[in-house]
Amino acid sequence: MAEPKSITITVDGKSLSAPAGTLLIEACKAVGIEVPSFCYYPGLSLQAACRMCLVRIEKMPKLQTACTVQITDGMVVTSDSDEVRQARKSMIELLLGNHPLDCPVCDAGGECELQDMTFKYGAAESRYMEGKLHKEEQQWSPVVYFDRPRCILCYRCVRACGEGMDVWALGVQNRGSSSVIAPNQGDHLECEECGMCIDICPVGALTSGAYRYKTRPWEMKHVGTICTHCGDGCKTTLGMRRSDTGMDIVRGDNRDKSGINGDFLCIKGRYAFDYFDHKDRLRHPLIRRNGQLTQATWEEALEHVGKRLKEIRDTQGGQAIGVIGSNRTTNEENYLLQKFARTVLGTNNIDHHRTTDFAGFARAITGKQNATATMRDVATASSILLIGNDPTEQHPLLAWNIRSNVRLNRAKLFIVNSRPIKLRRQAAAFLQVPEGRESKFVAFLNGDDTAAGSLTSPAVSNDSLKQVRDQLRGAQDPIIIFGSELRGADIAALVKFGSGVRAMFICLGDYANSRGAADMGLYPDLFPGYVAADGPHNFNEEWGKVPQVKGMDIAGMMQAAKDRKLAALYVVGSNPVTDYSFDPAALQNAFVVVQELFLTETALLAEVVFPAASAYEKAGTFTNTCGDIQLLKKAGEISSVRSDFEIIVRVADRMGADTKKLVPFGKGVHADMGQSRGAQSGEADRHAVWLTANNLDPRLSPFDPMAILDEIQRLVPGYEFSRLNLIAGNDEHVTAAEHSNAGAGNGLVQIVPANDSLFTSGTLGRYSHTLNSVIENRRSTESKEVMAD
Amino acid sequence: MLHFSKQTIYTEHMSIIRDIAGIAKGMSVTFREMFAPTVVENYPDGPGPMKGAVFQERFRGLHVLQRDENGLEKCVACFLCAAACPSNCIYIEAAENTEENRISGAERYAEVYNIDYNRCIFCGYCVEACPTDAITHGHGFELATFNASNLVYRKEQLLAPIKPMRTEAPVESTSQLKEPAQDHP
Ligand code: SF4
Ligand code: SF4
Ligand code: SF4
Ligand code: SF4
Ligand code: SF4
Ligand code: FES
Repeated sequence: MAEPKSITITVDGKSLSAPAGTLLIEACKAVGIEVPSFCYYPGLSLQAACRMCLVRIEKMPKLQTACTVQITDGMVVTSDSDEVRQARKSMIELLLGNHPLDCPVCDAGGECELQDMTFKYGAAESRYMEGKLHKEEQQWSPVVYFDRPRCILCYRCVRACGEGMDVWALGVQNRGSSSVIAPNQGDHLECEECGMCIDICPVGALTSGAYRYKTRPWEMKHVGTICTHCGDGCKTTLGMRRSDTGMDIVRGDNRDKSGINGDFLCIKGRYAFDYFDHKDRLRHPLIRRNGQLTQATWEEALEHVGKRLKEIRDTQGGQAIGVIGSNRTTNEENYLLQKFARTVLGTNNIDHHRTTDFAGFARAITGKQNATATMRDVATASSILLIGNDPTEQHPLLAWNIRSNVRLNRAKLFIVNSRPIKLRRQAAAFLQVPEGRESKFVAFLNGDDTAAGSLTSPAVSNDSLKQVRDQLRGAQDPIIIFGSELRGADIAALVKFGSGVRAMFICLGDYANSRGAADMGLYPDLFPGYVAADGPHNFNEEWGKVPQVKGMDIAGMMQAAKDRKLAALYVVGSNPVTDYSFDPAALQNAFVVVQELFLTETALLAEVVFPAASAYEKAGTFTNTCGDIQLLKKAGEISSVRSDFEIIVRVADRMGADTKKLVPFGKGVHADMGQSRGAQSGEADRHAVWLTANNLDPRLSPFDPMAILDEIQRLVPGYEFSRLNLIAGNDEHVTAAEHSNAGAGNGLVQIVPANDSLFTSGTLGRYSHTLNSVIENRRSTESKEVMAD
Repeated sequence: MLHFSKQTIYTEHMSIIRDIAGIAKGMSVTFREMFAPTVVENYPDGPGPMKGAVFQERFRGLHVLQRDENGLEKCVACFLCAAACPSNCIYIEAAENTEENRISGAERYAEVYNIDYNRCIFCGYCVEACPTDAITHGHGFELATFNASNLVYRKEQLLAPIKPMRTEAPVESTSQLKEPAQDHP
């Protein structure tokens, strides 16, 4: 595409240039001239409803709306004159004509665009004598409240919900001055409850049930961190407030549009942080005494676990211990956990809840360049093939990016799915194939025409299949996205096809750090960076002796537990009893330790339960399902819980392990001075050399996750990103999968997709008040409707 | 070399005269007051709840959270006083009024409203900031205590009592003058 030509215009005597087709308001913004606006919102259709953006353009008879005028060569604009200011003031005066001005009780107070404009342009004193029309505030859903008199009819909410979310739950009733925003179900909303409309509302007309009347914007401390729910990794800004037990999270939003998600967040990112202070949250360690889990001190619990694990390791060997890691702990914690398992417990029996086949994906794309797409790429790619999954429910940000790309850039979307997923509304072609036949489609893509037979149906003809294939073959740098429907060999086949068209891939996993768990080697057969445990690697050299044989996966551990060969099971942030139907009876004789937020089915079986901090309460990094790594910042704080990182280090310490070897902190970390490599005595401290080379200082504490991030960056190929950019709060793309050295697969891998919906999120979702109230509300309105029928 | 010009001598003499005039002026006040009737605030032995203390109307003492004519709290928990406070001593937690539990006249009220008198400098900024005239300075001043934590006053201590009948003048809290019992050593 040729670059549009640059056009020069003059605004307030300043000359500026911008590409042809740029809106005047945007051109002004680019050089720092602010044109006020209410209804204009970048990315949404133009409305020209509020007339705040009026400017004087030479040779035009009246004031013009800067939000709809495209710049033309030689345009001369006045954006700041008495005339223009007076026009803006009059607009505000009209808006305030029936505005309640109850700022003291309005949630928007302090961050209200109408307030700001009134301060700037005046018109705070009303010249009207008439009383104002009052309407009661309405609750439209557990999340959305509407205060009609405050609405200034900018229609941003209507467009955000319709164009952006493709939900179209909000509309306009009546015309002219009696227009009113209305929900789709008459008196209530039935929608995705994303809260986009609330955050996009420039005033306090739409407010959220979660944040309502709680505090004030300036009272909060704002911390930008990453959502802990699905695998998309939205950046969210949490509003924090001091409380008796630490710091409370009061709200989540992303109004600063930072991060990979812009201003998008789904209901989970915006409101489902509220599991953090659920009354059932574990707040002290538990030890089983006389068959009952009873409250204990940290000292007792750590001592007990350290002693027992050491005993079991020393008497029965590491192979009698199993470790199950988490999809929701940070990269540093995952790395530390597997290092702890392999070097301190001496076992390769480590696994995690696999929601998709990341290992298979790594095997397929190893050695390829630019083979994985970022989340940002999804918003700009010219064509996208989506096989399986339902992003609207399971990867809301991905769905948002796909929709935006189709809407704004006319990207071509091809969907292959066994269900009529909602994204088909944006698709250029939607092929509904019988369940489980996604792999046949991949074969068909690769030229196997016989596969078409099992794919066709009345809705999907042979021709339409061929057409899609032809279009994909001719596509320019497409992005291919696939869910857990494709595994192992199917992924390899898909990659084979994709390589021919220079495609980039995204493999969809279900939880916040599923990708991180895979990248960090929570596998019985793979070390961090998908390095085969039984192949050549340098972890022996780096960590001291590590077990060479492959360990047991979760199914293996379950079997071993049944056969009484598993003496201990160490579970971090996972619930295998439910997720994998791990037989509770089998665990009766094992020493089970669980680090969790809540008393899950697995924790109920434990000998010792440690109360862990949630991902909102700690620092670290998450890698999203595309491979975008982002920084977590500690936001919330609950006294009496500890991060999984700290718990693991402390347990290792109690077992007598050298924590300095586990977490490289302080100086002289790897100065093995020849003990392990004989002849090369005096060999330099590799970690220190690396730190120096990268301009980093040694960390001072064994509980500093950054110490492990240093080691990850040093040892995991594909994780060499700019630390500076990460610390600045930006995303970096990691390519551990492309750099992997995974060797042959295990054959059978047990993959259990989480199958979460928009309103569920595994264990955490069960404890979210907002999610539960939305589900409850749906259930009750549904039953009401059934009764009415 | 000593040498006085006329000018110097003149100024020297004038300054002596000015000093004498100044002293005389000062003493005149002293002598006048000596014969004037004595005015003493007989605090704390005076009569009435104020124990003899007399205040100017504008005196800024312990705050009083006012009620409206229906006895509802005027404060709507807008946090503006807390934002205005230069010593950051006002702490508020807001909550929503419901049909059954109506505390203030508007949609929200202050569930918790604390002023930390360890820090309050009685500047009156909060009073200026308040859009509902809820927070006012009363005349309470006996805040001394042996225990600093007693100086965090809660809403219950700051609220004006519910008056049986409406009056025009703002109500002044009387509870403020009674020292909390646990205060005494
Ligand atoms: S919407 Fe804005 S101007 Fe209107 S009451 Fe709320 S804060 Fe005040
Ligand atoms: S919450 Fe989201 S889906 Fe619901 S009405 Fe608002 S924008 Fe639409
Ligand atoms: S509710 Fe808010 S976003 Fe929607 S039209 Fe009214 S002011 Fe605009
Ligand atoms: S899309 Fe995923 S990461 Fe983003 S807010 Fe929703 S659950 Fe969180
Ligand atoms: S006292 Fe006044 S300023 Fe302070 S929170 Fe209450 S209403 Fe707002
Ligand atoms: S911003 Fe231009 S008319 Fe509203």
